[in-house]
Amino acid sequence: MTEKQAVIIGGGPAGLAAALRLREKGVKDILILEREKYLGGILRQCIHDGFGLTRFGESLSGPEYAQRFIDRIQAEGVEYITECTVLDVSPDKVVTAASKTRGLLQVRAQAVLLTMGCRERTRGALATPGTRPAGVYTAGVAQSYINLQNIMVGKEVVILGSGDIGMIMARRLTLEGAHVQAVYEVQPYPSGLPRNIEQCLNDYGIPLYLSHTVVEIKGRERLTSVVVAQCDERFRPIPGTEQEVPCDTLILSVGLIPENELSLAAGVELDPRTRGAYVDEHCQTGVPGVFAAGNVLHVHDLVDFVSLEAEALADSAAEYILSGSLPACPLEVVAGQDVGHVIPQRCSGTRDFTLYLRVRRPLNQVSVVVRQAGREVLRKKMRKALPAEMILLAVKAAKLTQDANLEVTVE
Amino acid sequence: MKRTFTCIVCPNGCEIEAEYEGENVLSVTGNLCPKGRTYVTQELVDPQRTIASSVRVLNGELPLCSVRLTRAIPKDRIFDVMREINRQTLEAPTHIGDVVIQDVLGLGSDVIATKEIAKVS
Amino acid sequence: MQSYDIIIIGGGVVGSAIARELTRYRLSVAVLEKESDVCTQTSGRNTGMLHAGFLYKPGSLKAQCAVEGNAEFDQVARELDVPFKRTGKLIVGFTDEEKERLRYFIEWGRVNGVPGMELIDRKRMDEIDPSAGGSFAIFCPSSGILDPFIYAIALAENAVQNGAVYHLYTEVAGAEALPDGRHLLHTAGRGDFACRWVINSAGLNSAKVSAMLGIPGYVIQPVKGEYFVLDKKAGQFAKIPVYPAPTPRFTFDTHATPTVDGNVLVGPNSFNVEDGEDYSVSQSGMDGLQESGARMFKHMKREYYIRTFSGARPKRIDPQTGEVQDFLLETREDVPGVINLVGIESPGLTSALPLARRVVRLLAEKETLVPNPHFDPIRRGIRRFHEQDAEEQARMIREDPDYGEIVCRCETVTCAEIRRAIHNPLGVFTVNGIKVRTRASMGRCQGGYCETRITALIREELGKAVTEVELGPKGSQMFTGAVKGGNQA
Repeated sequence: MTEKQAVIIGGGPAGLAAALRLREKGVKDILILEREKYLGGILRQCIHDGFGLTRFGESLSGPEYAQRFIDRIQAEGVEYITECTVLDVSPDKVVTAASKTRGLLQVRAQAVLLTMGCRERTRGALATPGTRPAGVYTAGVAQSYINLQNIMVGKEVVILGSGDIGMIMARRLTLEGAHVQAVYEVQPYPSGLPRNIEQCLNDYGIPLYLSHTVVEIKGRERLTSVVVAQCDERFRPIPGTEQEVPCDTLILSVGLIPENELSLAAGVELDPRTRGAYVDEHCQTGVPGVFAAGNVLHVHDLVDFVSLEAEALADSAAEYILSGSLPACPLEVVAGQDVGHVIPQRCSGTRDFTLYLRVRRPLNQVSVVVRQAGREVLRKKMRKALPAEMILLAVKAAKLTQDANLEVTVE
Repeated sequence: MKRTFTCIVCPNGCEIEAEYEGENVLSVTGNLCPKGRTYVTQELVDPQRTIASSVRVLNGELPLCSVRLTRAIPKDRIFDVMREINRQTLEAPTHIGDVVIQDVLGLGSDVIATKEIAKVS
Repeated sequence: MQSYDIIIIGGGVVGSAIARELTRYRLSVAVLEKESDVCTQTSGRNTGMLHAGFLYKPGSLKAQCAVEGNAEFDQVARELDVPFKRTGKLIVGFTDEEKERLRYFIEWGRVNGVPGMELIDRKRMDEIDPSAGGSFAIFCPSSGILDPFIYAIALAENAVQNGAVYHLYTEVAGAEALPDGRHLLHTAGRGDFACRWVINSAGLNSAKVSAMLGIPGYVIQPVKGEYFVLDKKAGQFAKIPVYPAPTPRFTFDTHATPTVDGNVLVGPNSFNVEDGEDYSVSQSGMDGLQESGARMFKHMKREYYIRTFSGARPKRIDPQTGEVQDFLLETREDVPGVINLVGIESPGLTSALPLARRVVRLLAEKETLVPNPHFDPIRRGIRRFHEQDAEEQARMIREDPDYGEIVCRCETVTCAEIRRAIHNPLGVFTVNGIKVRTRASMGRCQGGYCETRITALIREELGKAVTEVELGPKGSQMFTGAVKGGNQA
């Protein structure tokens, strides 16, 4: 069995950034396993621009953002295998993968970095009633067909869900000649970023209907129409508001789910709120030496922060690999009032760390407050806080004690 | 006149309340940085956008090469530019930054390739 | 015009079992199937249960066939390489009244010849499946679960292996008698077919086809059932099918059944419909299933939902009373050359081969059947990579590197399996056809990762244009063309 200091599962933005940082920190014996033919992950199909504003100070397309990392991976000679799907990660960090060229691979790693990204929620998970015709696609699948495979999925389009990919696809489809009739969102507020509503929908005259959902899918062979209805505050369709919208394509942009099947195999415990791992401030999961960052940990809005988080992970993973251990993290970080989730869920109290969180609902003129045993350690005022926008807070160890849990609230 | 703008310059997506007369911006509130004011001014005078699309690739490992504009163009010219992009074909290999159309329709913006595509072996 | 000794109308599990059994003899056999595959209707839209035979009235054809089909299934599964588990089954109850009803089943089971049924107490239930509710239960050890898609496919493939011919997308539109006594079948756009014998196994359309062949008067009432499919993560809690005690009318409420692949099916509900081929799923139906399913299976959670589906059982009813009738299998002196099967519903999966043998017997009464010396009962399915141990997986990749390329990550289906499925003996080329043969896209992401790859492989292997790729039924084109450059993506 081969041995490696670090095995990185997934050569997307998180995996690439982590690999490069590990290298900088003196961890040289790294292996990236990527199931696609090319490195870059989902960025390869995100051909719109807007990536890298934070990291590079310029607006890049997804492939360009990825290529900046790939070029360095290649220049540094970081070892990677593409078209190689990891089948299993054992709790003692043996990674099993299948590859056409290398056969069945088994690698024992000192540290395993989980950077597998996320997948899309499907119609099945929504349990949308109706038939099962052709013409129903998740936004990411449609994006792959259109941007990578040169395949057009339809002509008259309805989009369910105002996730960023859905709105981006509304614009892409419009530019490529399809007619996008509307975007329907079940919540009373959009789930994607405001700028995407502006530049992907408003610019092209595509209406966004909040508190609306698709209640029926029609058509035996190809989609012929969807029935949409207004919803009450508990997301239940209001009888009498149904309206049939003829279309041949329905695009679903109804949420992303961290892809943690391998994490579970490794014995990693998941947080039901993020559906990613419970991690400490080192991005270490409950299994020592197994780390997670990026969309596999919690779904991000911006790739720049995925890179950032993965680099923080790599700092800790390098310390773990080179020194054999990391400071204990006995303090819990608890999501309090109006906080949807926090990352990390545990911290040491002895080191600075970045706290990521999302609010549960849109709020105006609020403060995000971190307290330890009732004592305020950090307060950030915000004019508006949206669930669509992840909030980052720099928590300073100097403000913390080592004897009480942290609670994060929005007030 | 008063209007609310959603700034698209960066992911902050500031909601900007602007007071204006014709093309003259009198006051802006809600923007986190000066770019917000510039954006509002531009929106009033001549709204500009960038777009991304793809161009067909011959003899490449992939059938399409993604492209984007190097600078924003007037919003009402988007579909004119799309027509130009749709006319193009590239020969593999392609490299990031390859100019696909120089100064498209004289709008001062180039269409550039944004993907590395190797030639099929 | 094409000519055969025997034409079977309807290539579901029963039609395919008949085709397979007929190829044991020197006969030219063709199957006309109107759909794109052999398991798109009732045969593929059910619980996948191998019934034991205690639910049916003693002496009925349903009872006889179920018991016979159940008893032989270990061998059938081995011969045809069908995923199958003899799990046994629990029917649980709480009240004395329910206990009385359960005793009925035990009695029917005894008369029908179902082996090993017993009424068990809570202590025994805990040994069998601690997660099952109820204070007592019937335990029936011979019940089992199987992959209904693969079973229909396996029968059809074995039939083809032994010389039968399948015509997909071929709907019979009319029939007439030829002067020489043969039948002439007209199809919708696929030409005419002539044969000496025609066998009606048209399922939901069996009454219609029966009338077309000159035997009118039967009434099929489609009874629809809707289901939830739950993630394999929920499957770990369901080891054995657990049914609630029947209602006073001896029908069953929602139940949870493990599938042979480790998912859980919750359903079906049951209601009469006009159009049995409308496979939509209703909001009210799902609301009901969520509620009743949660009573029967405590892991009925939203996060485990991966899909819903529905199917319809073609029940033959008495036109006067509306009462559900037994399977009908007949030949008639006044309508020569026709073998008629009407109302083959549950337990049709279990009964497929027993019914097929009865068809052969009816035929043998009319003519001498000469055994086919080349008949081979063995059919091998596509070998599943993920079911092998590491050593075998390594060997498979060495022999065929396509086994090293995982196409469906949720179900760990490799490119080698997809390629084999694309070149299936029946010539099915739809995305759904590949799915049921390999399980690719049947997992929790429902094709989010693999669908783009599967459609690309279909195009590559079969040279299909973008606009020719179909999801399932004819006309279910997935794509409208290329984004750039016309249709030549």
